[in-house]
Amino acid sequence: MRSHRLAWIAALTLLPLAAPCPAASTDAVRLVVIASASQPLKLAPDRDDLRNIYLKKIFIDDDGRRLIPVNLPPGTPLRALFASRLIGMGEPQLADYWNRQYFQGVSPPYVLASQQAVVRFVATTPGAIGYIASCHLDERVRVLLVVDPAIDPAAAGCGEPAAH
Amino acid sequence: MKIPDMPPARRAPLAAALLAGCMLVATAGAHAADTDAWSTAPYSLGQGLYFPAQGLRLGGYANLQYYDVANEPPTLNTRDISLFVTKDLGSRAQLFTELDAGDAVQLGGSHSNRKHGELDVERLYVDYRANPWLNLRLGKFLTPVGQWNQVHADPLTWTVSRPLATSSAFARHAAGAMAFGTVTTHGHDLDYWLFADDSRDFDVGPDQDRAYAASGTDLPNRNNFRHAFGGRVLWHARGDRFTLGMSVLGYRLDAPRQSYRLVGLDFGWSGRYFSLDGEGIYREGGSPGQPAETGGFVEAEVPLAQRLYLVGRLERYRTSAPAQTVTLRTLALNFRPVPGLVFKLEHRDGNRSTELAPAGWLASFAVLF
Repeated sequence: MRSHRLAWIAALTLLPLAAPCPAASTDAVRLVVIASASQPLKLAPDRDDLRNIYLKKIFIDDDGRRLIPVNLPPGTPLRALFASRLIGMGEPQLADYWNRQYFQGVSPPYVLASQQAVVRFVATTPGAIGYIASCHLDERVRVLLVVDPAIDPAAAGCGEPAAH
Repeated sequence: MKIPDMPPARRAPLAAALLAGCMLVATAGAHAADTDAWSTAPYSLGQGLYFPAQGLRLGGYANLQYYDVANEPPTLNTRDISLFVTKDLGSRAQLFTELDAGDAVQLGGSHSNRKHGELDVERLYVDYRANPWLNLRLGKFLTPVGQWNQVHADPLTWTVSRPLATSSAFARHAAGAMAFGTVTTHGHDLDYWLFADDSRDFDVGPDQDRAYAASGTDLPNRNNFRHAFGGRVLWHARGDRFTLGMSVLGYRLDAPRQSYRLVGLDFGWSGRYFSLDGEGIYREGGSPGQPAETGGFVEAEVPLAQRLYLVGRLERYRTSAPAQTVTLRTLALNFRPVPGLVFKLEHRDGNRSTELAPAGWLASFAVLF
């Protein structure tokens, strides 16, 4: 009887180690779309709006302020993931899309060199929208949308030294 | 070799457009101070040269086309040398213009069939972003009918020749006002265009919308609008893998001065191993007893290697003047070694020796810069 009681106590003590805990889920790296924390957009974009902002079909917010989506360099894993998950296109299909848009006078989003540059640019540029891995978030920006709730931290560049 | 000669009537609008472009470049430096944070990508072929501090993009495209078709001596010409200028005007507006030197250089062909070089203001408009879902356009723009007419540049199309249904029954350009935008329903986008044309009063440059020029013939039929109004919707599933469009148009041509009504349908589908697209139109009107003009095409593109495609197209079209029905079969190769560069070779054949789209070999080299 005593040995049974000890076994239950031991099991209950060890249970939190085996089960997923809230702290672990908050540490997961996510792909997020961000805007400036200090200069909020006059638009509450949902997933479809953000896709159309990145495809340059929506140009301004409700106040008439220009929206400036920014991209990471071609070939970076996070850019490919973003294009696939939010826009629904692969890189070759997107390249064709931008060639057609260019013919019609619409330019693709600006390209910034790193996620740190995206954070800095978005934080200081009214109307700017970017995407980063959540490990690069800081108080200067706020999350508009979680595109992917769990991405590979290594592929997302977490732990890399700041480029800027 | 034909050196372009420009009638005096063309000089004024062109000079005005060039002057406007020069003024934009000269005054653009005023906006440089607040954009020192920009870090833009280096120049790449097919995207133009961008000056972020000025909100200015310069680019364009050029092509060299070879035609060896029935009853014509072979010709080699620069069908288009186009310059694009895009300039931001504050946060809500943008100016865009395309200046096109068509048939500027031509080698071969009989003297009587040589085309005269044309220097045209192909497009010139200002876009104003009224709100996130509504944009307004004022100026001269491409008529929103079908998908081909709005993206018709040689580096962006699959074949050298253009299907008759995409150009023969309406003016490729309109001058006036347009509203356009995108609305989203259930995760899918619906693009819309509504326009009113008053080419009689507002046309920029007296360019001639020759009905069959794009198919390689130079019949006298002209399609310039006098007045027009219409609209287009394009529904596309996420990722543009499937599109379905409809265009409706009512217009009066400049000569002969007659009224027409046109309905067009188009689609595009992109699969893993091949893609399909097509357009069709139905036009009625004109003089009493004139038959309706109707037809369309279906085209398939199959990747053979990484950047080499085989293209097949079947086309049927009934014209009203001259009244005849043609069936055209086109088989083509399309090679894109790098983005922005395209080589094409195609063979066109028909059910009869037609003057609208003569059978033969066509080839082109095109660059989007």
